[in-house]
Amino acid sequence: MLSEIKRQIEQTSGVHDWSLRAISKKSTQHYVIGDRTESRRQVTTERVLAHVLNDHAGANGDGMFRGETLITLLESDRPRLSARLSDAVFMASLSDNPVWSLPGASSYPEVAMTEPEIQTNPHVVAEQLIAQVGEALRDKPGVRLSSAEAFVEEERVEFLNSQGAQGSQVATHVMLEMVLLAAGHGDEMESNIGCERRRARDLDVADLVDRHAQYARDALVATAPTTGTYPVVVSDEALDELLMGGGDSPLVFGSSAQARYQKMTSWQPGQSIFKEAPVGEPFTFFSNALLPYGVRSRAVEDDGLPAQRLLVVKDGILEHLWGPSRYAEYLQLPATGAFGNMEIGGGSQSYDALLSEPGPLYHIVSFSAMSPDPITGDFVGEIRLGYELRSGQRRPVRGGSISGNLLSALAAARWSSETAFLGSYHGPRAAYFPQITVAGA
Amino acid sequence: MDRTHFPAELADIQATLPDLVAEMETRVPYAAALVSRNAGQRIRVTDREQDVSEMEPRQGIVLTVWTGAAFEEAANSDLQPERTKRLAREFVRSLQVVPSAEVIDPGEPARGHYATSCEIDPNDMTPKQKLDRCRELHAKARGLDPRIVNVQVSYQELHEVKAFANRARQLSQIITRLRMMVVMAVSDGTQIRYDWLGKEGTGGLELLEVTESELESLCHSSVALLTAEKVLPGMCDVIGSPDVSGVIAHEAFGHGVELDMFLKHRARSRQYLGQQIASPLVSILDDPSYGGGHGSYFFDDEGELARPTYIIRDGVFERGISDLGSAHSLRMPRSANGRRESIERKVYARMSNTFFAPGTTPVEAMIESVDQGVYLNKTSSGMEDPKGWGMQVTSHYGEEIRHGKRTGRIFAPIGITGYVPDILKSIVAVGDDFQLSGGTCGKGHKEWVPVSSGGPHLKLRARLG
Repeated sequence: MLSEIKRQIEQTSGVHDWSLRAISKKSTQHYVIGDRTESRRQVTTERVLAHVLNDHAGANGDGMFRGETLITLLESDRPRLSARLSDAVFMASLSDNPVWSLPGASSYPEVAMTEPEIQTNPHVVAEQLIAQVGEALRDKPGVRLSSAEAFVEEERVEFLNSQGAQGSQVATHVMLEMVLLAAGHGDEMESNIGCERRRARDLDVADLVDRHAQYARDALVATAPTTGTYPVVVSDEALDELLMGGGDSPLVFGSSAQARYQKMTSWQPGQSIFKEAPVGEPFTFFSNALLPYGVRSRAVEDDGLPAQRLLVVKDGILEHLWGPSRYAEYLQLPATGAFGNMEIGGGSQSYDALLSEPGPLYHIVSFSAMSPDPITGDFVGEIRLGYELRSGQRRPVRGGSISGNLLSALAAARWSSETAFLGSYHGPRAAYFPQITVAGA
Repeated sequence: MDRTHFPAELADIQATLPDLVAEMETRVPYAAALVSRNAGQRIRVTDREQDVSEMEPRQGIVLTVWTGAAFEEAANSDLQPERTKRLAREFVRSLQVVPSAEVIDPGEPARGHYATSCEIDPNDMTPKQKLDRCRELHAKARGLDPRIVNVQVSYQELHEVKAFANRARQLSQIITRLRMMVVMAVSDGTQIRYDWLGKEGTGGLELLEVTESELESLCHSSVALLTAEKVLPGMCDVIGSPDVSGVIAHEAFGHGVELDMFLKHRARSRQYLGQQIASPLVSILDDPSYGGGHGSYFFDDEGELARPTYIIRDGVFERGISDLGSAHSLRMPRSANGRRESIERKVYARMSNTFFAPGTTPVEAMIESVDQGVYLNKTSSGMEDPKGWGMQVTSHYGEEIRHGKRTGRIFAPIGITGYVPDILKSIVAVGDDFQLSGGTCGKGHKEWVPVSSGGPHLKLRARLG
């Protein structure tokens, strides 16, 4: 279908540039409740995304503009391709944006993104993941599986554009979501987790079950934290959530060329991203689209650029804005593509050392939800589970919340030397923030 | 597209559904088929960019069977009848059918086609006219204050076409969902703050009228956020706007009564069926048949016809909301809440329009009754905790109330947390007003479906932070 669309789009009047992305995906899904299969699903989808650009004079005679539109072509569109593409030209002709150009031919990096077992035996991989959960729970008395979902997928992408760029990539993907229930003290509590990786072998299911079984047990006896301002350590998946916020992180938004072009971020290359003088460890991060088996890794960007690893912030100073060719051209900056995986170097202290002060200190291991405001950096998150450390005692806490501003917190943060790979985050296992507001009892 | 009649290009596949179901049921005890197609437009106008694009269309067929032991599904984006027949044959042939006494009830026989009614049909307006309308709105908003650094106006128009068949039912529907959003960003040179105004629902363009006074109010609140302070953490009397009330209903007693959560032993609410769980002033409903709601539909993705469900009536927890599988397993009554994100995902028990029923207290009287507290204006997010029965709602901002008056002192953002029964029992007044706000809802961190939530103003006590 891709070659047919290419032929057609080249013949369509008013298309001045274009790119096509053919995406085919196979998904195997396995759902269990307790020890029984609830559902199994097999999904196959195919589509072609056509990005159509049209150049036209402005309505007021004020120069040339470029409009764009993105349409999705399905197999059922084959008989009416010509009409669909003409509609796309019409939609693109409506919007008046400054002209930008698409990237030309490039060689693309080799990026490790597949697990052969997923490609050949997705059902087996899905069932093995669920079986590993059951196996890991065998020596956890009082803890049982509520439910689990395993998604095992392969995605193939072929890309080409009007400037000669042409590439392809294949990636696999696994998602494991599970809920563990712990019983005791006349009650039952849960711990739930969702993890994504490119390979099933990067999911240490036994470790996940170990940690979350303990979290579920601790939730049984957890009480509210005490209101006040305290040092707070955030670790593992909770830290990933705080820093990446599901992709809409202030760190990602603030360093975006599009946000800069829209005047929605005040970050400027060469200047500190912090309002206050940093007093913590130097903060450096990369957008790494080449991270082996990173969930946000890729070879080919959506506009045809080769993917790359980019130093975004070094020692608190913005080094590079990230962005596709369009916004890079508007701002006369190098084009880098979309944000990749978050990569942060390890800190100077061990994980245990960050938790070793006499306290009171709160260690948060799970939020109900944590997504700092991408524009302001402000955050509030309910504590799903944490620990109060006070004079050598460790007390589980839940309920209440922590709040603050992510950038202010990072300006004072210290980081663990141990690092973790959590799918789209590769960085310190834990961060220590000296002053965070805790709302509790 | 024709907004009311089932699309001709899907008529062939729709016509095959009864035969597909019959053929699959020669091998399995229950089968159903759902054809789904979403398509629409998206327009965005900002200070420096404009964009007119399609909403990414999604289409395909889902074949669902009960094997006697589990539900199994095959889904494909290809809707050609011959290929679909082959898919169905190969799918049921691959299944291991288990002899079982369990019978899946296909429901009472029903046939029908339904479509959203509109006063101003969006199809009567060209994309250019819609873009011009967004440009006008942008220009009006942009000129309101010199501190504005950007205004983004976005318009979404989604047409959802669905056809369902099992051996008892042949149903089809076309839902038109519209959404207009104005996001205003302001700066004092040292920081950027923003607020937004949303209009949405199922219906026509009449839903999306934005008045000048609404834009002025948006500008006022955006600028006020430049001087926002942190709220003092702790327990506090609050008045929740309908938007905040709705998210409390949604997070506190919506997710926690989705019956698949009962099945997974994840819902603490199950222990309280038939018991007083909230203030007697409180009734909470989920109603997919609510006219114009952003979460409205005529039947769910399993062919159950939409109708209201009283979840809490006068403070007593009456029942949950269900999909077919959980209602069947629990031997509980079905409601029309079996929904899927797309053909790529399974059905779960999901909310539609979830709200507190209105009460009798005038809003002014509620505010006057607060000596010291916070008026919570607008939510930016929420998260459920059905097992622990905790609740998190993040309010974009709130305003101080002192001696019965709103003072203009703004706090932002504000986290509202608490133990669900404590919050519901703390409700001491329910407003006589009513409003729904639309959005999308995930189950955990995925499975997004359009919903709305709302109700009247509420006076309650909660932990702020």
